Amino acid sequence: MQSYVSIESLSKSFGLFTAVDDISIGIGKGEFFSLLGPSGCGKSTLLRMIAGFETPTSGVVRLDGEEVTDVPAHRRATNMMFQSYALFPHLSVGKNIAFGLQQDRLARSEIRQRVSEVAEKLQLTALLDRKPQQLSGGQRQRVALARALVKRPKVLLLDEPLGALDKNLRAETQHELVRLQRELGLTFIIVTHDQHEAMTVSSRIAIMRQGKVLQIGSPAEVYETPVSRYVAKFLGEANVFEGGTARRSGNELKIESAEAGGSVLATATDHISTSGRYWVSVRPERVELNKQGSGLEGVVEQFSYAGSGRHYRVRLKSGATLDALRVNLGAQDDLSVGDTVFASWMPQAARLLAD
Amino acid sequence: MMQSKPNLGRHALVLVPYGWLAVFFLMPFLLVLAISLSSVRLGMPPYEPLYAWQGSLLSIRLNLENFVFVLGENTYLLAYLTSLKVAAISTVLMLAIAYPLAYGIASCSPGSRSFLIFLVIVPFWSSMLIRVYAWMSILRNDGLLNSLLLHLGVISEPLRIMNTETAIYIGIVYTYLPFMVLPIYANLSASDRTLIEAARDLGCSRMAAFWRVTFPLSLRGVAAGCALVFIPVIGEFVVPDLLGGADTQMIGRTIWIEFFNNRDWPVASAVTVLLLVILVIPIVLFQTRLSRTSTA
Repeated sequence: MQSYVSIESLSKSFGLFTAVDDISIGIGKGEFFSLLGPSGCGKSTLLRMIAGFETPTSGVVRLDGEEVTDVPAHRRATNMMFQSYALFPHLSVGKNIAFGLQQDRLARSEIRQRVSEVAEKLQLTALLDRKPQQLSGGQRQRVALARALVKRPKVLLLDEPLGALDKNLRAETQHELVRLQRELGLTFIIVTHDQHEAMTVSSRIAIMRQGKVLQIGSPAEVYETPVSRYVAKFLGEANVFEGGTARRSGNELKIESAEAGGSVLATATDHISTSGRYWVSVRPERVELNKQGSGLEGVVEQFSYAGSGRHYRVRLKSGATLDALRVNLGAQDDLSVGDTVFASWMPQAARLLAD
Repeated sequence: MMQSKPNLGRHALVLVPYGWLAVFFLMPFLLVLAISLSSVRLGMPPYEPLYAWQGSLLSIRLNLENFVFVLGENTYLLAYLTSLKVAAISTVLMLAIAYPLAYGIASCSPGSRSFLIFLVIVPFWSSMLIRVYAWMSILRNDGLLNSLLLHLGVISEPLRIMNTETAIYIGIVYTYLPFMVLPIYANLSASDRTLIEAARDLGCSRMAAFWRVTFPLSLRGVAAGCALVFIPVIGEFVVPDLLGGADTQMIGRTIWIEFFNNRDWPVASAVTVLLLVILVIPIVLFQTRLSRTSTA
């Protein structure tokens, strides 16, 4: 498949510091693609290279088949929504939105029509005469979005677009963004450090760390089949134990783990060799806690009620901790702090990691 | 409950600037206004008292003749217009020099910024009078500038700059430039860099981004700088007196001549009051309107 946005061996160094280290990504037309990672992982620098604000040290950026590596920002068919929104304080909302169209010297009637179109789509029609300082955070966010969208870019770049919104508004705006992106059929590339946000909005996620891409995949892929301990722990919670000798019976593996203090179950996979160092990873919601039975023995050390679920931290006999999440289905809670419990999981709930 | 309590500390704090203005601006001005309504006499003070007790009756004599005289006399009108012209031209010259200077300093790294601003302020460390005298020795017919140009063979006979209007502009621009640079620099250095990036992203070249975003957003600094130099330059006395010629009569010098040469305090005061009314009040009104529109 021909990529719409194609990043080929792209690197960017600032002096001795390498912000982006030989990254290659292909993004398809109409994708909602996330660059996810902690601050300083190079995701913003990568986005700024796609926008044309930074010149790569090496590598190529292609947009719709054309190389744009050295094309300056104002001649690229990309538009950016800034983290701080960067609305022009001396211009009204309407003039902010029209800014890019005026720069392109479009006819006045067309500018007016396109501005009112996008204003309607983003519920800004009543605010066109206001100044940015007179708007709420959510309204400013929509103006910033409108100002970028009105240019009909090939790719819309969003730098932490929801970072300044409070939690409830953020969730609502995430859905709004997805709806808008589908409706317009545009390609969105979003930078975020919020794994929940990335999972909610994206068609695919690239997880970055220290200038490198660790894994690219759909939200389900990266969550269910993380390639490393880092990815597993970065995307949600994960219990990770180092594995020892493994015995295979059919499709099942029984792994002795000194760290977990017993044997744990996993499915046999071809990818991981169990002769070197490797780890077993299990998500908290897949762990079952029982008051008696078999599994890893431990004591409930902490309990927290999170509304949609109950979260337990268990101190295993080996000294390691294990997190378990019971989804709140309305049943009475039969576990309390200090109880002895046995933790177990289905073989397919565990994943083996080489790194 | 808390809000209805009068906040004494805050009220006292507000009183400080008002008190300062009352003592050091309003009172002297009222004195000048009073003198302008008096008439000249020989003696000390050289003007008639405004009021006198005739028995138990207080008689106040207000004399508007000084104003009638000043308004009817062409010399004063000319001096006003000359002051206005010199102030306007030197403000434009300073803006042309100060804006690029401030822009350049604001684009430097924070470390070199403070050093460069220090350089802008450093002339203040010596007396203005001494610096104007220094200009005299530079601009004289046998001064530094002419010797240098003659020596380099650029000119064959000395340029006559001293005692011309050119010398006044050089002196005024030199003296007042920091007052133009500082507010513009303060404004530009506080401006948000991402706004420029946003403009670039929306299709602006560097130049277009400057004219559509940076410049309009710096207008408050420009207005502050212009007011800060324009108003004092109108009444400037030292520079035109020391560097200028007899043909450039500015209002500051006119007032000086009336006071000290003619010893006509009432007419000098009338000129001063008219200067304030005609020139300064419209500027102040303009300033307040500007600050109101840009905060709205």
